[in-house]
Amino acid sequence: MKKTEFLETLEDILQREEPCNETDILDDYEEWDSLSQMAIMAYYKKNFGISVTLNDLNNLKSVSDLIKLAGDNISD
Amino acid sequence: MIKFNKNQIFIVTGASSGLGEGTALLLNELGATVVGIARNEERLNAMKAKCKYPENMHLEMKDLTENIEELPQYVKELKNKYGKFSGLAYCAGITSLQPLKLLDINDTKKLFDIDYFAPIFMAKGFADKRNNIGEGASAVFISSLAAKSCNRGMISYSGAKAALISSIRCIAKEYANQKIRFNCVSPSDIKTPMQSWIKDILGEEKNPGWSYPMGMGEVNDVANMIIYLLSDKAKWVTAQNYIVDCGVM
Repeated sequence: MKKTEFLETLEDILQREEPCNETDILDDYEEWDSLSQMAIMAYYKKNFGISVTLNDLNNLKSVSDLIKLAGDNISD
Repeated sequence: MIKFNKNQIFIVTGASSGLGEGTALLLNELGATVVGIARNEERLNAMKAKCKYPENMHLEMKDLTENIEELPQYVKELKNKYGKFSGLAYCAGITSLQPLKLLDINDTKKLFDIDYFAPIFMAKGFADKRNNIGEGASAVFISSLAAKSCNRGMISYSGAKAALISSIRCIAKEYANQKIRFNCVSPSDIKTPMQSWIKDILGEEKNPGWSYPMGMGEVNDVANMIIYLLSDKAKWVTAQNYIVDCGVM
């Protein structure tokens, strides 16, 4: 999956009116709550086969950290 | 007295008949703008002809089971056309009478499409905060007393309606912190075209196996409960299922 495609997916998962950018800080999003984190876990599991823990997500700072967590599944 | 204004926009599915029609007409009468969805254009127009403020009654022809996965996108398109929604009343549905020995997987799936999957995916579209007004938005889903009464021949219908109640409770909990509310209303048999179909095939005295101490319910007996749940009067009410059956259960 291309990075731009992932950013659009993230915008949809978070149901944001504004686009997501790589440099955005996750805690700055009002939508970054436990339900969104649950949705990210479900998305990574289904689409990337990666089991992400709540702890993993809580340690992330930015959107680019979230992208790194997907490894090779998201490319430039 | 519950009042709405025309800036409050409500989606009503199944708006051409029965409870959906009654709910659409009552919302419109109380001042709200209604987007009434149904398959049949002629019957939708007949509903609109009865409404008090035609300028606030919009009609959309749609078969909700055609592409269920795309329903959230459909809600988004409606939002772009009409504005953010204050509420959703999901009143579309079918019933069937099919005892176990005749149970057909295709019929059962078809029933689940309109009575379970379509409402859940309409909820998905409505709950998206880009499509609703946020705090105070409210969705009501018509379940049925059949979810509890579980009579013979009602395997698919009772199952789908019970599943709907449970899933709507889960959804309500996901959105409670946004103060968006989700509830079910479970009527017993009401004087509607759907009910008269059952009556026609089973006969008056065999249906529905109990008697109504207050007489058979009418559309507005249920529509008024839906209106209450959609209104701000119910602002602390969510994740519930309200039985409206004049006490027969």
